[in-house]
Amino acid sequence: MFKQSFIAVAATLAIGAAQAGAPEKPECIAPAKPGGGFDLTCKLAQGALSEGKFIDSPMRVTYMPGGIGAVAYNTVIANRPDEAGTIVAFSGGSLLNLSIGKFGKYGVDDVKWLAAVGADYGAIIVRADSPYKDLKELVAALKADPTKVVFGAGGSVGSQDWLKSALVAKEAGVNYRNMRYVAFEGGGEAMTALLGGHVQAYSGDASEVAAHLKGGKVRALAILSDERLPGELASVPTAKEQGLPVEWAIIRGYYMGPKVSAEDYQWWVGTFDKLLDTPEFAKLREAQGLFPFKLTGDKLDAFVKERVTSYAGLAAEFGMIAQ
Amino acid sequence: METITHLMEGFAVAGTPTNLAIAAIGAFLGTVIGLLPGLGPINGVAILLPIAYAMKLPPESALILLAAVYAGCEVGGRISAILINVPGDAGAVMTTMDGYPMARKGLAGPALSLSAFASFSGSMVAVVGIVLFAPLLAEWALAFGPAEYFALMVLALSCLGGLVGDSLVKAMVCVLLGLMLSTVGIDSNSGVYRYTFDLLHLADGIPFIVVVIGLFAVSELMLMLENAHSGAAPVSLSGRLMFNAQEFALAKWTMLRCSVTGFFVGVLPGAGASIASAMCYASERRMAGKDHCFGEGDPRGVAAPEAANNASAYGSLIPMLTLGVPGSGTTAVMIGALTLYNITPGPTLFQDQPVVVWGLIASLAIASVMLLAMNIPLIRVFVKFLAIPNWLLVPGVAAISLVGVYAVHGTTFDLILGTLLGGIGYLLRVMNFPMAPFILGFVLGDMMEQNLRRALSISNGELDILFSSPVSIGLWIGALAMLVGPRVAAALRGRHAGEPQPV
Amino acid sequence: MSERVFGVLLLLLSAAGLVIGWDLRAPVSYEPVGPRAFPLLVFVLIGACALALVFSRRAPTRWAPPAVLGRVGGLFVVVLLYALLFDKLGFIVSTTLMCLPLARLFGASWKQALAAGACMGVALFILFDRVLDVALPAGQWLKPMLG
Repeated sequence: MFKQSFIAVAATLAIGAAQAGAPEKPECIAPAKPGGGFDLTCKLAQGALSEGKFIDSPMRVTYMPGGIGAVAYNTVIANRPDEAGTIVAFSGGSLLNLSIGKFGKYGVDDVKWLAAVGADYGAIIVRADSPYKDLKELVAALKADPTKVVFGAGGSVGSQDWLKSALVAKEAGVNYRNMRYVAFEGGGEAMTALLGGHVQAYSGDASEVAAHLKGGKVRALAILSDERLPGELASVPTAKEQGLPVEWAIIRGYYMGPKVSAEDYQWWVGTFDKLLDTPEFAKLREAQGLFPFKLTGDKLDAFVKERVTSYAGLAAEFGMIAQ
Repeated sequence: METITHLMEGFAVAGTPTNLAIAAIGAFLGTVIGLLPGLGPINGVAILLPIAYAMKLPPESALILLAAVYAGCEVGGRISAILINVPGDAGAVMTTMDGYPMARKGLAGPALSLSAFASFSGSMVAVVGIVLFAPLLAEWALAFGPAEYFALMVLALSCLGGLVGDSLVKAMVCVLLGLMLSTVGIDSNSGVYRYTFDLLHLADGIPFIVVVIGLFAVSELMLMLENAHSGAAPVSLSGRLMFNAQEFALAKWTMLRCSVTGFFVGVLPGAGASIASAMCYASERRMAGKDHCFGEGDPRGVAAPEAANNASAYGSLIPMLTLGVPGSGTTAVMIGALTLYNITPGPTLFQDQPVVVWGLIASLAIASVMLLAMNIPLIRVFVKFLAIPNWLLVPGVAAISLVGVYAVHGTTFDLILGTLLGGIGYLLRVMNFPMAPFILGFVLGDMMEQNLRRALSISNGELDILFSSPVSIGLWIGALAMLVGPRVAAALRGRHAGEPQPV
Repeated sequence: MSERVFGVLLLLLSAAGLVIGWDLRAPVSYEPVGPRAFPLLVFVLIGACALALVFSRRAPTRWAPPAVLGRVGGLFVVVLLYALLFDKLGFIVSTTLMCLPLARLFGASWKQALAAGACMGVALFILFDRVLDVALPAGQWLKPMLG
């Protein structure tokens, strides 16, 4: 006990520059059921913060599912806006829903964006025995007859997963309304449907692909990133290389309540600035299949606002009217 | 042969004193978490995962802990179902149907011991199934596309005949109300929010646990108060704790059938323990012919859902181990656990991590034996619940149930919704509306609708996709047999009885 | 009689469901069925069943005597208030307050009810929040005191 508090004091002193100390009851709200991407994002903060001894009491992960983060967003702003120890996980999907008004009455300015800690990228996947060897062949088939290629993914029409398919169709010169798309409940079901041959292409995420590639049952046609990804996916070309300028990054990170004091917020920003550069963090991030992506504080704030604006434009272009 | 070597290695891993102790602790904790209404295996596994990680347990030990908790929860859910008519978790909903009547007859002991044994048989059948057929079953899971799922849901719904109480219209109303509630929330095909009334809390739909707690726990408390005043005899207890040979003989084939069915249903991602146990309970009831007292405390009515429930829970590990996709909410958390240990479940898991996989399978077997050994003597303790006076029991159940609901979303919206559903449930139950079809409708509704629409969007509206694969044709035939089978059987029996007996 | 009343309520529910459901349309859709077919079908069937309930002759429902019904209603209101105040008052206080009337309804003495309430609030909070790690609300009124 004594030793623990000693370490805590030492850690607080070490941080020094920040005026506020480590918050007393650190908590990460995962706005989903246990086991999903938000849960993993929280576990990432939980593991890295305690391993690096940035906080003295262990961070608690709690769950608040609903509307890809909508429930948590509203609850934090309305009921828990000033909790210095509480961070909430968000993803690109949350930003998309925020931009098309599915987050209720609150907007992008209503929370304090804290840090983005990693990113995942879209991927176009087919079964290993599929006739399409690369993205060009898939696009050619789409052009010839859009009804022949059925896309499947884990999100409903209007979700990121759908936008990935729709963007590919659009760049292929096919009206996205004429393509075929089947929405499943989550990436797992979509992957099963692809493996079972019930759909022909899956617009999923790069992190899901790696394990399945090793099994030899699927083939990744393209990664929707700016440059090739490191590691096992290095051999998979980007869509851009294949002449289809489609990019889709899913960033993961955290935000805080709007009434958290500036000192506490700065403490968190400073902590994440240090944390994100540690090798331990990189190891944990890689274990979750996330690729490096680092933005904190004001820079993240600007980035998020830019994203939300561009998503809103995209949503208008693809006729997704907010409900 | 190779399988046996691997399995032996698995037992060697799971059989070290530390891992045995971990399995025992996990099984016990799981039983406790499972018996608390509202808290189920998802919570159990999610709660213990950070602890296992913080204790720096090696991956196989952590997974053994989680597997034991998982197994324990599935066994624990039946306890509150039998003793106080409140299901402890999703899979135990059907156990209330005959478990509680048995307890009212003074047979709480035999109900608990028989269901413990049924759980054990379900677990064992499932473990054997995993060991022998895991890769093959992965193919079975893959064969299930939207069209096949739809046919499966129709089959499940056709079992409903076994759940109709005194009136067909009332059962229909309940199924429809269940279906109605299942349409609330985001429509997973089109992304449209349906019947959410702009309430974000309804965006993802109504959680299963809210409906169960409302209809079964809250309304049960209200009925308890009514019964306390009408002078109905409180649940008593006869001396017998173990089931007898007669009860076992009656239930043995039920157990076996339901273990196998439950396992196959469990293997399918998405179709979980609640569907498996409902299908098994209802079909057993239909198959029992005239000679039964289902609904009034038939031992088979306790054995069927419990065997199916456990077999299906274990079966849902197969998609996780062989395909790397979660077969249920709990396995989704387990995949998260593996990820923390830098193990990515996927098609190559059996080759890459044999120690982990076979250790897990062996520990499921060990945990099942432990649970049986632990649960039989513990019945003596559990039946003591019946001695708790109502003035202590009722507030306790109310508080624990609401905590279970609160644990899902962490907001009070669900608590209010669950309580309101409880009020409606009370009115329905007083008017003799059966609750089981309500739950079944709620569980099946979403899967049935979405899979039909998925199938039709794959086929571009052609209906023949629904009958195009051998699996779906088999399921349609099964559904037809369920609907007309009992009548044909009854007719045959009638003719048989009418024939002159040869001298 | 009760079932007829219930049937009429179901009929209203079905009508409301149909009216709301009629407008459910997807901006972009890839399927022939669409989001509104299934709910509309369900509500039509509910309407049909409701008519059957209204117009069929059935055995009367046996309700508890009014005094008992009043107490059952009281229990419902207590649980509902408990749900409403769950995170405002915090788990310990709201549970204690909920226990009191509930225990009294089931025939406990004031002393028993008070003891049960206080013990249960604290014991369950420790069990869930501390041992089982299910986060429970401490209560908004406690916040200023805890700083």
